[in-house]
Amino acid sequence: MARIGVFICHCGHNIAGVIDVGRVVEAAKRMPGVAYAGDYIYCCSDPGQAFIRQAIKENRLTRVVVGACSPRMHEKTFQEVLASAGLNPFLLEMANLREHCSWVHSEAKEEATEKAIDLIRMAVAKASRAEPLFAKPIPITKRALVVGGGIAGIQAALDIANAGFEVVLVEREPTIGGKMAKFDKTFPTLDCASCILTPRMVEVAKHPNIRLMTYAEVEEVKGYAGNFEVRIRQKARKVDHSKCTGCGTCWQKCPTKVPSEFDLGLGKRTAIYIPFPQAVPPKPVIDTVNCRYMAYLEFVRSGREGKPPPQCRICEKLCPTGAINWDEEDAIITERFGAIVVATGYDLFDPSQIPQYGYGRLDNVITSLEFERILNASGPTGGRILLKDGREPKRVAIVHCVGSRDLNYNEYCSKVCCMYSMKYAHLIKERIPDAEVYEFYIDVRSAGKGFEEFYNRVLDEGVRFVRGKVAEIFKGKDGLSVRFEDTLTGGRHVLSVDMVILACGLVPQRDAGEVARIFKLSRSPDGFFLEKHPKLDPVNTHADGVFLAGACIGPCDIPDAVARGSAAAAKAIGLLSRDEILSEPMTAIVDISKCSGCMLCEEICPFDAIEPQVVRGKRVARVKEELCKGCGSCAAACRSGAINLRGFTHQQLLAEVEAL
Amino acid sequence: MIEEIRAKAADLLRSGEVKCFIGYERASDGLTARPFFAYSADEADRLIFDGTCVHNLARYLPDMRGKRVGILAKPCDSRSINVLIREGQVEREEVYIVGVVCDGVYRTTWGKPSRELQPRCLYCSKRTPVVYDYLVGQPPPAPESQHPASISEVEALERKPAAERWEFWRSHFARCIRCNACRQICPACYCPQCFSDQLDPLWTGIRIGLPQNWVWNVGRALHLAGRCIDCEECQRACPMGIPLAILNRKLASRVKELFGFEAGMDPRAPFPFATFEKEEEIL
Ligand SMILES: Cc1cc2nc3c(=O)[nH]c(=O)nc-3n(C[C@H](O)[C@H](O)[C@H](O)COP(=O)(O)OP(=O)(O)OC[C@H]3O[C@@H](n4cnc5c(N)ncnc54)[C@H](O)[C@@H]3O)c2cc1C
Ligand code: SF4
Ligand code: SF4
Repeated sequence: MARIGVFICHCGHNIAGVIDVGRVVEAAKRMPGVAYAGDYIYCCSDPGQAFIRQAIKENRLTRVVVGACSPRMHEKTFQEVLASAGLNPFLLEMANLREHCSWVHSEAKEEATEKAIDLIRMAVAKASRAEPLFAKPIPITKRALVVGGGIAGIQAALDIANAGFEVVLVEREPTIGGKMAKFDKTFPTLDCASCILTPRMVEVAKHPNIRLMTYAEVEEVKGYAGNFEVRIRQKARKVDHSKCTGCGTCWQKCPTKVPSEFDLGLGKRTAIYIPFPQAVPPKPVIDTVNCRYMAYLEFVRSGREGKPPPQCRICEKLCPTGAINWDEEDAIITERFGAIVVATGYDLFDPSQIPQYGYGRLDNVITSLEFERILNASGPTGGRILLKDGREPKRVAIVHCVGSRDLNYNEYCSKVCCMYSMKYAHLIKERIPDAEVYEFYIDVRSAGKGFEEFYNRVLDEGVRFVRGKVAEIFKGKDGLSVRFEDTLTGGRHVLSVDMVILACGLVPQRDAGEVARIFKLSRSPDGFFLEKHPKLDPVNTHADGVFLAGACIGPCDIPDAVARGSAAAAKAIGLLSRDEILSEPMTAIVDISKCSGCMLCEEICPFDAIEPQVVRGKRVARVKEELCKGCGSCAAACRSGAINLRGFTHQQLLAEVEAL
Repeated sequence: MIEEIRAKAADLLRSGEVKCFIGYERASDGLTARPFFAYSADEADRLIFDGTCVHNLARYLPDMRGKRVGILAKPCDSRSINVLIREGQVEREEVYIVGVVCDGVYRTTWGKPSRELQPRCLYCSKRTPVVYDYLVGQPPPAPESQHPASISEVEALERKPAAERWEFWRSHFARCIRCNACRQICPACYCPQCFSDQLDPLWTGIRIGLPQNWVWNVGRALHLAGRCIDCEECQRACPMGIPLAILNRKLASRVKELFGFEAGMDPRAPFPFATFEKEEEIL
């Protein structure tokens, strides 16, 4: 027979001001199984805890009921008291006499006391059927997965690898580098982007602890913090990278030319290609949609009539190492990881959503990212700022906040556009000294180390800042016309320019919903991934063991992306440095003698924590305890009551109901 | 029809394709039918099929697991087989289903012939089994339903005021003797240990009294929501004449209304209580 101790807390006046604590204690003493009942002014205080501990020892109590506040407040506190008194912490039961009783019934003291007695009676009944529970240690897979090879993912991968853990870096493009690889110079210091990025990319490729998987994507994540099972699709490259030396013969000779994605369609690439000269790995993939030989194969397979496309195969003939492998198909690789860093970045706002800006319709109205390629020495113009017809622009307008700070598109500020716009003004002035540059801004946001100084420098260089929104861009007499309102001097004006650069905002990646689903992430109202706490837990997520880095959390510049990468790495390292984690002891358990193997529970479990197993020739359900979150859905669904939830067993709950 | 069934069953047994064929034979009153298990081709001659073959033979399949068996299935029985397949109690590969086109079965009882249809046949929407390996009889042209029930017992009861409905069930449940016949005959009741037989926790209570009976009858009905295919065997088996089918039918119609789900029509259709959609009407 259990020896139950009941402790009623006054919580100062919070409880005792409404409930007659003395009466509750007297009633508790007469409840079945109760060996001791007492009260204390603040049970959670140090002396309160000592009081409970002593009572447990003196009265040889085996179960404890504390009538106090919500278990969310102090269940842990009192569990520790039990543990320090030598009892299993799960032999504690809390009755919520404050939130559920005294606070809501302060007008009806008599009834509140009656209700408090009922709540205690139920808790006593439940406690009498409580059983000790034990957390199990689960070993950890000491490897990390980093998804997305932009600067944030690169930083995270390097930090984790340098801490001595194995890392797999999965990037969906044929090269790592992300957006930063497209840039020419970076604000505010104007370092050359590739000069600072390329060494990092090479370091990733060379690092003994990093395995780089480009042209690959994560398809499914199963498991839990410490032990994820991840299915990765390695897309077919049709090039055996173990043989390829990256000599470049193939992509120099391939006859198929298509718009280059890396150059945002401004330049061309071949069907077998590396996205840009410093790509890592420096080995090509074949774009199977545009390759002539693949088109030929497709034609033959489809059995269509007519003249087949040419059987090109030039790359295969010229490759000195015989690396071309037409038979290569997508490969599915399943690996285990302890921690995951998601660093999948952002997309640029698509300005064709704002028809009055004419993007896509008017020549020389371009996006910022396109301008980055134009500025870049390895870009389509070799770094010369040119109009579509090859002339140099003399008047350039830069429109801020395109798609940002605008309730029609995105309410938020994209944070980096002011700064990169001023970077452009400076670079245009540097390369075309007699050019006039106009910045159309709402506010100049230059908060950051060295940012305001950079703003002042650009002002001194003679860049014109116009405060006002651009209403419309249209074809003028010669070149483009920009209609705008100057909100400082008042008045509407039209300005003739040769080129307009749209400082487009940063938006969640196109497939953010799908990525969120795969990694079980939540998203904030703006569509970016949701951190666990915006201030105190900025790289953790609600999915244990999955961390966020870079601009997938929200717009940020490179220093922030790197800092977030390191922060996520620190969290991942923290998890991986442990040898084991403790399982949740309140899990479901199947009584196989009652289980019919209908597997309804498997269908219902939101955490995929139930699977069938065969015991003595009979199929029954099994709970994977590491995955079970103790939600109890299965226990409710099982008709024969074969599933019980530890800590909330059918026996405990029915005892509670019956006590009432 | 009977000849075709006998020949098919004999074939299956002779070739060893099945170890046992479950069908019907004439009972010793010379009038009603009873379940019959043929283990050899010779025995297949005893098989019959007509409007007296009321039993839902799917009831016997879970006990035959691990053996290849043949079974004669009316449309209602075939839906039960689907329920059992989806719930893992029957392996599709282990059963050979001889489906039979059905015009309804009669209220014949021991020694008392009848040409009146079983109430369930008035609600039944199928004349051809929903799953079979071999079909006996000509599938009727659509629509399949032959006897559109005029006003159902469910609706009639629903029109009464709450107090009357309460009294209706109170008086019926008060008479329940908890013999468990309804459960024993139900093709969807196969739990190794029924909740009502468990002592710890004591879900139902041991006493045969109104509150305990109430828990049992309501618990039974709820456990069949979305699973009952309305073969009405429980009601036929109940010695106290409790109209269990009204409860079952009410639940089935709610499941259909809310989730568009009908038990036993498709063994692969997701079970409504196990699916979750982001946008769901709050009930
Ligand atoms: C026009 C422009 C100019 C800018 N100039 C500057 C500047 O001068 N200075 C500065 O500090 N900041 C600048 N920024 C900001 C800078 O781009 C970002 O801070 C930085 O790129 C963020 O890095 P990231 O790694 O988070 O994201 P990204 O660079 O977007 O990298 C994400 C990577 O993840 C990959 N990926 C996405 N989804 C998946 C998936 N499902 N599986 C695998 N891989 C995936 C992508 O292919 C990509 O390689 C500029 C931004 C813009 C738009
Ligand atoms: S729901 Fe219950 S009976 Fe069905 S498989 Fe799960 S545990 Fe077994
Ligand atoms: S308690 Fe919830 S999480 Fe655990 S096995 Fe049951 S349904 Fe799954």
